[in-house]
Amino acid sequence: MKNFTQFQWLKYTVTNIPDGFDDMYWKKSGSLKISFIILIMFFFGIIAKDRLYGFQFSADYERTFNIIPYIMKSIILFVAWTVGNWSVCTLLDGEGTIKNIFIYSAYAICPYVIQIYINLIFSYILVRDEYIFMQLIEITGTVWSVILMFSAVKAVHQYTLKKTFTAIILTLIMMLIMFIILILFMLLIQQILIFISEIFTEIIYRLRA
Amino acid sequence: MKKFLIMFLCVIIFAFPLNVNATYNYDYMRNAIPSQAGYNVKNVLYFGMNEPQDIFFSGENFYIADTGNNRILVLDYNLENIIKIYDKFIFPNGKETQLNNPEGIYVSGEKIYIADTGNSRVIISDFNSEIIMEIEKPVSEIYDQNKTFIPEKILVDKSGNIYVISGNITTGCMMFSSDGDFTGFFGANRSGRTAENIRNYFVSDKKKSRRKRNIPTGINNFDISEDFIYTCTENSEKTSDIIKKLNSAGKNIFSDRNLHFGDYQSEYSNSGYKPPKISDIDISENGNINFIDSETGHIFQYDKNCKLLFIMGNISGQSGGFEKPSAIETAGKNIYILDSGKNNITVFSETEFGEKVHNAVDLYNSGYYAETLNLWLEILKYDGNYTYAYNGLAYAFLRNGEYKNSMKYAKLAGDSELYNKAFQEYRRIFLKENSGKILIIIFVISGIILIKKRGEKF
Repeated sequence: MKNFTQFQWLKYTVTNIPDGFDDMYWKKSGSLKISFIILIMFFFGIIAKDRLYGFQFSADYERTFNIIPYIMKSIILFVAWTVGNWSVCTLLDGEGTIKNIFIYSAYAICPYVIQIYINLIFSYILVRDEYIFMQLIEITGTVWSVILMFSAVKAVHQYTLKKTFTAIILTLIMMLIMFIILILFMLLIQQILIFISEIFTEIIYRLRA
Repeated sequence: MKKFLIMFLCVIIFAFPLNVNATYNYDYMRNAIPSQAGYNVKNVLYFGMNEPQDIFFSGENFYIADTGNNRILVLDYNLENIIKIYDKFIFPNGKETQLNNPEGIYVSGEKIYIADTGNSRVIISDFNSEIIMEIEKPVSEIYDQNKTFIPEKILVDKSGNIYVISGNITTGCMMFSSDGDFTGFFGANRSGRTAENIRNYFVSDKKKSRRKRNIPTGINNFDISEDFIYTCTENSEKTSDIIKKLNSAGKNIFSDRNLHFGDYQSEYSNSGYKPPKISDIDISENGNINFIDSETGHIFQYDKNCKLLFIMGNISGQSGGFEKPSAIETAGKNIYILDSGKNNITVFSETEFGEKVHNAVDLYNSGYYAETLNLWLEILKYDGNYTYAYNGLAYAFLRNGEYKNSMKYAKLAGDSELYNKAFQEYRRIFLKENSGKILIIIFVISGIILIKKRGEKF
């Protein structure tokens, strides 16, 4: 365990569910580079899930491709989780830094990301009647990721079981609040921009007249 | 340079012909795309009509409810001469009576059924203007006596039951037995918005009584074909109940198929879109569903399975355009549109392209997929954007066992269900042919892995 490379650490944490993250915490390991790669793979996976599945599984092709929803569904969601978790857990005596939370969470979503790519291959091999196999893989990956995320939060902040639960629920609430504030802020900025542009056009008209 | 210029001009002239009846179609992504015409305007006929409201083809003659002139016109099959004019009818006791704004006409088994709207009655007469029966406002517990009887459209089924659409009734069409007894309502539209239903749980009865009642829209027009009654409803809010196919129990057969009728709203802009206001529906002899949207003047033709075939027609002042299309009727290969604004009949006749499509669709819907193969290929030469042809080709190739081609055309038609079928067969054959190779590859790979693991251990 001492001489693990960063990649081996990833494999170790993902496969050793109860205490993989704990071990990584004590060895002070975890790579930011690998986390970024996972996040980018997550982003492309979300797009592939909608766009690149075999034709027998894509019932409805959308006419326009808009990248914003995909960014929202993957990167923004993940960043909101990280920031939300950090802001909650600093108040709840958590020991994790924002960098560590980012790394641990990225490692935790690894099974989910891998599941998308496995299903992507299967979607070209299977037919609709065999969709249940793809569902099985999807459910396995998702549940695995959820459990990993739980143990990641537990390990990175060195929490008890009960406290982890509260932290996760508070994080989800925090994310909601963040999104609401974000939308409010965007609406406000829009209003201000409209106001400024109106004043500008008004001045231009006055000057010309 | 000069040559090029001439060529360029030719392209412009042939690419954008001046045509009143701009024909278009929808691709599988619901984009409106220009298309070949399935029907063309043959001629426009005037018979001195005044706001005619209904046209009916009995198999031999055309009957037109010439509403403004208070009469019924009978025209011959080629619409050349007026054979007869009905404006006076004689009761069995010798009394004479006249029509007042008749809006509906139906002929069945030597009897003429007239919805005499202005006199709020239905007249059933024989061909010699002698009244057999007269139906007036029914006296029944189900019929609200405060409501007047405004018969607008009428039809009769095989067993002689009479169906009447009354202008102020929202609970479906009224049904009368062959003796003229009122037997009930038939085929009411659904009412209710889901959000309102949920809100009703939280609102007191007192408040509910003050609010506007949620009433379904009345049926606008109907047609009967092979024991099924097709109704159309003018509804700008919902697109669900616009066209219904009702069985004899009054159940809508289309209801669980999530169908769309009429124009699609563009995803890119809202301008130019008008929600459909279907004024009349007609089922042609081979089962195609034709209806006319009086808002845009577009005539839509769908096949038996509700797949779009053609769109034509337009609101315009030019000859061939409509002002207030009120009724549609089909006879043979023609479509007849009655216009109550221009007081004329526009005759659409099938083009060569239309004939080919109809032949192919008829074979396709009877299950002869393989036989349609060449027809579809020919149709695609006329119009390479015709989605139905790709669909048909995919089916034809599937039947012929050419699964690779079937997959290709199913993809072009945007039909993933069909693609799935073709792919399943393609995969089965692929595995059958290559099972040996695949097994060898698996053995080799697993062997290599095993050897490597052994090597690591020792």
